[in-house]
Order: sequence, then C-alpha cells, then structure tokens
Amino acid sequence: MIAQLRQRLLALQRAPEIKHGPGTQPLRIPAIDAVLGGGFIRGALHEIAAAGEAHLPAAAGFALGVARRSAPSPRLFWITEDMGLVESGAPHGAGLDAFGLAPERLVMVSAAHRRDLLWAMEEALRCRTNDAVIGEMRIGGIDSVAVRRLSLAAAESGALALLLRAAPPSDASTAATRWIVGAAPSAVAHGPAAPRFAAQLVRNRRGPVGSWILEWSNRDEQLILTTHAQPVAATAFDRSHRQVA
Amino acid sequence: MLSLWLRRLSTDRIARSRECSAPLIVTGKRGNAEVLTAVDDAAERLGLSPGLALAQARAMHPGIDAVAEDAEAEAALLESIADWCLRYTPLVAWDTPDGLLLDISGCAHLYGGERELAADLSGRLEDAGFAYSLAIAGTIGAAWASAHYGEPASYACGEERALLAPLPLSALRLPPTTVASLARVGLKHIGDIADLPRAPLTARFGSEVLHQLDRALGREHEPLTPRLPVAPYVAEQRLAEPIAREEDVLTIIGRLACRLQFALERRGDGARRIELILFRTDGVVRRIAAGTSRPLRDPDEIRALFVERLAALADALDPGFGFDMARLSVLIAEACPPEQIGLGGGEDAAELCRLVDCLSARLGARRVRRLTAQDSHIPEVAEAALPAQTINGDAGWHAFRRYREQIELSPRPLRLLTRPEPIEAVAEVPDGPPLRFRWRRALHEVVAAEGPERIEGAWWSEHGGPARDYFRVEDKSGLRFWLFRAGLYRDLAQGAAAPTWFLHGTFA
Repeated sequence: MIAQLRQRLLALQRAPEIKHGPGTQPLRIPAIDAVLGGGFIRGALHEIAAAGEAHLPAAAGFALGVARRSAPSPRLFWITEDMGLVESGAPHGAGLDAFGLAPERLVMVSAAHRRDLLWAMEEALRCRTNDAVIGEMRIGGIDSVAVRRLSLAAAESGALALLLRAAPPSDASTAATRWIVGAAPSAVAHGPAAPRFAAQLVRNRRGPVGSWILEWSNRDEQLILTTHAQPVAATAFDRSHRQVA
Repeated sequence: MLSLWLRRLSTDRIARSRECSAPLIVTGKRGNAEVLTAVDDAAERLGLSPGLALAQARAMHPGIDAVAEDAEAEAALLESIADWCLRYTPLVAWDTPDGLLLDISGCAHLYGGERELAADLSGRLEDAGFAYSLAIAGTIGAAWASAHYGEPASYACGEERALLAPLPLSALRLPPTTVASLARVGLKHIGDIADLPRAPLTARFGSEVLHQLDRALGREHEPLTPRLPVAPYVAEQRLAEPIAREEDVLTIIGRLACRLQFALERRGDGARRIELILFRTDGVVRRIAAGTSRPLRDPDEIRALFVERLAALADALDPGFGFDMARLSVLIAEACPPEQIGLGGGEDAAELCRLVDCLSARLGARRVRRLTAQDSHIPEVAEAALPAQTINGDAGWHAFRRYREQIELSPRPLRLLTRPEPIEAVAEVPDGPPLRFRWRRALHEVVAAEGPERIEGAWWSEHGGPARDYFRVEDKSGLRFWLFRAGLYRDLAQGAAAPTWFLHGTFA
C-alpha cells in the first residue's frame, strides 16, 4: 500500500517530460537552436520577461516572433489582464498583420484577476487547435504550482506556451526556458529600421545560457541574428545621420 | 387569461418586511401636498382612503403608522412576483402598477385545470402574505374587470357578457373623465351600454368606449405583450423533492438538454443562447443565461457550458431550502447546418468554438474577443474587438489587406492605447518630428523618426477632431513609439487651438 502511494507520489513529483525531436520548433538561427537543443520546445512553458516595464512591447514582439514560427499560419490566443490592456494598449490587428500573424486567427482574452488569467491560459493550452498561447502578466509573482499546471496543460496539446511578464522575475521557475528581452537600438538609417531585440537566455533546462541581439526580418517573417550587435560608440552629439522628414 | 391584482401591494411590501400592528398607510407627495397613496385593510376600515391628505388622516387617527412610498422597491417586488409567475406560464405581462396578466391557455392542464392552477397560485400568494384578487376569463378585458370589480375568483370562459353586465363602467379600463360623462347621462354599468346603438355612442363619447367593450367581450383581439421574449424551445422539470446540490442541478440540466435536443433536431435548429431558470421553494427565482458561438444541440456541451457558468457566479447558487422547479429555454435558436461554418474548418473549428464558449461562459462574452477590421481610416476606429462568439469568417481582414497594398499603408504599431495619451514634446521645426518627449514622466530622446503620415480627422462630423500628423520614432534605448501631433500650425492663423502632441501606440 505504502509502496503504491510512494510510486504515485513519485509520478506526481516528476518534472513534466521535456520531449525531444519533433517536439521542438527551431528559430532557424543555428547559434540559438544549438543552445536550446533544437529550438523552442513545443508543449512546454517558456517565460519571456521584459527587461523593464517600458520594454514590454519589445518582449511582446519577441514572443510574437517565436509564436510566428509555430505553424504556417498560427492560431494564437493572447490572454491579458484588464490592467495590462489599459497600461500597454490592446493588440492592434494591422500591426500584427505586418508581423506575419493573421489577425483573424487571434483570439484575445482579458481576465480580471491573475487566477482567471492562469485558468484561461490552461484551458486554451488544453485545446489542440491552438498553436501558441501567450499569457501576459503584469508585475507580480506566480507560484510554481501554477507554472507546473501550465506546463502539464501544454504537454497535453503540444502547443507553445509563452508567459509574458512585464518585469524580470525574481522567483525560481520550472519553465523550460526563461528569457529577458529588451529593445535594442535599430540600424538607424532613414528613420527607424527593423526592430531589434536584446534577448538574454537566463535559464535553460536543456543546457547553457547566452545572450543575442536579434532582428525581426519582415522579408523572411522570422527573427535573424544581427551581425554587428551593439553600436561601438554612443551616438551622443553628432546628429547628422538623423533624417528629419 | 388570468388577471392577478395585488390590491395592497404597497402596504403588503412593508408589512412583510417588519412587524406592524397599527393601521398602515403609505404616503407620497402629489403636487405640493403629502397625501395617502395606499392604505391597508385596517386603515380602510377606519375610513381612510388613498388621496386623503396626510395631515387630515393624522388628525382623524393619531395612532396610524405612516410610511413614505418607494416606487422602485414596489416595482422590484412586482418584478420578482412576475418572475415567480413564470412557473405557471412563460407568457406573463405587466399590468402596471400593481397587477399581472398571465396567458394560461395550454398551461392549465399541467396543474389539473384552471381552478386548480388558480388555487395553487392563491395558496402560494396567501402564504407569502399578499392580498390579491384574481380572475380567469376568455379575454384580457373580462379577466381584468372581474379581478378588479367582480366577485373574487370568478370563472367565466365564454360567458363574458353575463359576467360583465353588472360591473361598473370603470371596469372597462376607461379614463375617469369618460366614465364620469357616461354617468352623467345615466350609463353606469357595462350592461347599460352593451346593447346601445353604436354610432351615437361613438359620436358622443369617442371610439375608446366601444373599443374596450369589444375587447372585453372578445369581439376584437387584444394582444398580450409578454415582459420577456417567448423562448422558441422550452423544457421544464418539476421536482417532487427540492434539490440543493450543484451536481443535482447539473444532472437536471443534462436531462432537460436531452429533451431540448429532440425538439431542436426535429426542426434542424441549434441554440445560440440558453437560459436556465431555477425556482426556489420560497419563491425566489434565479435566471442564468449562457451564449454559444455556434448553434448547439449536444446535451453534454450544453451541460458543460453551465458547469462554467455556475462556477463563475460571483455569489454561489444559494439554493436556500432547495429548488423545486427548473426550466431550460432556448432564447435564440438558429438553423444548424449539417457542416459547421465557424472560425476555421472541420473538427478544429468545433473544438475552438467549444473553447471560446467555455471561456465566454466563465469570464463573460465581452472578455473573449476577436479583432475585426472596420471601414475607417482613423486608427482607433479602424479596428474593433468584438465578442468572439458573434464573429464568423475573416472579419474584414481580406478587404483590409487589399486596401493596405493599394495605398501602401505605413507601419502600424503592435499595440494601440485605448485612447491617445497627451505628451510634452519638443520639436525642431514646427511641423517636424519631436526631438524629445515626456510620456508617463519618463523622458525619451528621439534618435530616429519617420513621417509624417497625415490622417485627416472626420471633417464631415462635428466631433471629428483635427487632422493628425503621425510619426514613427525610436528613442535612444531602441523603444519605438507612434506619436502624432493633433492640429496643424498653418491653422493657427485661422484661430485654431495650438497643436498638441499625443502618444498613440508602441511598436515591437
């Protein structure tokens, strides 16, 4: 009897299986895919935190860039808190369309409480028709039980679960990966160029961590690695390059 | 038709809520005077009647208990009684201010006949402590007349004429002035005018008199306007033993949904909006509605929908001493095609619809939305997020893409603020992009800007607002914003207000 119970406990305590092989979704950036062991794991939870609250749009852009690769035309659930919509604005269809995501395949859910947000995310992850589920959290913690529930729900359907957070979290996490993403200055020529992200992989259950400067390429509809990462010198006083329209 | 008149609604309401022994009167302001609006039986025996001035009533009987009127509470009470009457028939209509009309045709046999239904209704009203009088007749007019002026509980189906003849003319729901002028020529009872030549009567007293008479006698049809829309499909279950547990309620829902399924299938319909009505033994009625994103027939799915609805109720179901009747009605039915037309295709669509329904039931339909492209060039109006349950197909995005390619629309932000937020901006040249700006107390140095993209306001409308010049800017740390300047400097000369800067959205 006790042995049986122990076995059940063991089964319950075991971390959610991380699937290998077909369960990964490559970013098609060899450097990052190698670190991630083939790419983002489907059916697992990935945390993407903004470097600061102002960088939340950049973190959202990175999350969408990852979600873009989850299917030829991904079906997306974006779950936010009410406060998040007020603070950061609602997803804009025309902007998503430019990101290679069809707005008609997006369902937006707004939740009044953190509890509802996690519940809605779990329900959305259970549904096999969803390719990616983005849950956007304002500042605040999330307990490990909730993370585990989300991971299990994602494992059930094989959807990509992305937890977007407005600030770098301090709590320990059982998510498969944790990223801290901020905006990076773009290759300014004539006006703002393609958006760049300073992505930092701070936790990776499958191996090493790292940090990269990525750029969204509209032509390929995917993230690409920028060759020259940071500008060497600060653009302090010389403003001759600025284009005034 | 059953006419129910709650004679002492105002005083019964107060008497139910507190103990009172003295004669009770309800007062209110009419014009400038404080007058009696309702009295109870004891006060009536003392010779008080509505319309009397309060000061006079107090002078006559100092011991009376006077309470200020509360029309809202009375209306709410009448509404709850009307809800409760749904247990007899779905067709309940207002008869303001203190009565109800019930169309019981086809429902009476469920109680074993009209008399038994009336007995059941009277028994429950008596238990609840209401003074009432009710009558059943073939027409609304006759039922109303005998409830208000006839013998209590008289039943006349098909013999309206004999029933109405001895009643006073005011029983015909005529305006008091008409009744008074008829009385002046000696016409006091309905019987007096029933056989008079019609033309002179109309010429002298207007058509309303005969109109009402014809309605009461059934010569003319009088429609009943139910206070709630009549559901096309209804299934109900009376329970011998009241139920209280949520699981039992769900079992009943499942059973009722099975019955609805047969009815829906026969006509090829599916439910888009379903309402559950639970009748508590003590007269309280709970109504819970749930919407669906596609026509639904499957009892299991209907049951699953209510699992979420019940879980989402802010206050628990509160069964009190239990529910003794449950009714499941389909409020909106829609033809249910053999193949689903939904958000996508085939099995996937069905599963997504299930998810959307489940989330909508728990969080509310307005919290689960999809984006639709609207026919407008003003950014905040160009898109609308509408409940996902109501949207099918591509929601205007094909048209949007064609439009974007045609005019080569410049980039749009990933997120748009609900309303543009004012910022303090410094620009190099009046019509140029800002050099730096302050948004939410943080200062941003602009390193790159693109624009302007001029978007005219709705100049054809009074509330159109000024033209806007939009700029896409990037600050030092790489954050990208969508700003605009409302108003043009060249309009300053014409007396327009100085242009102001706003932040409208953020790019990735």
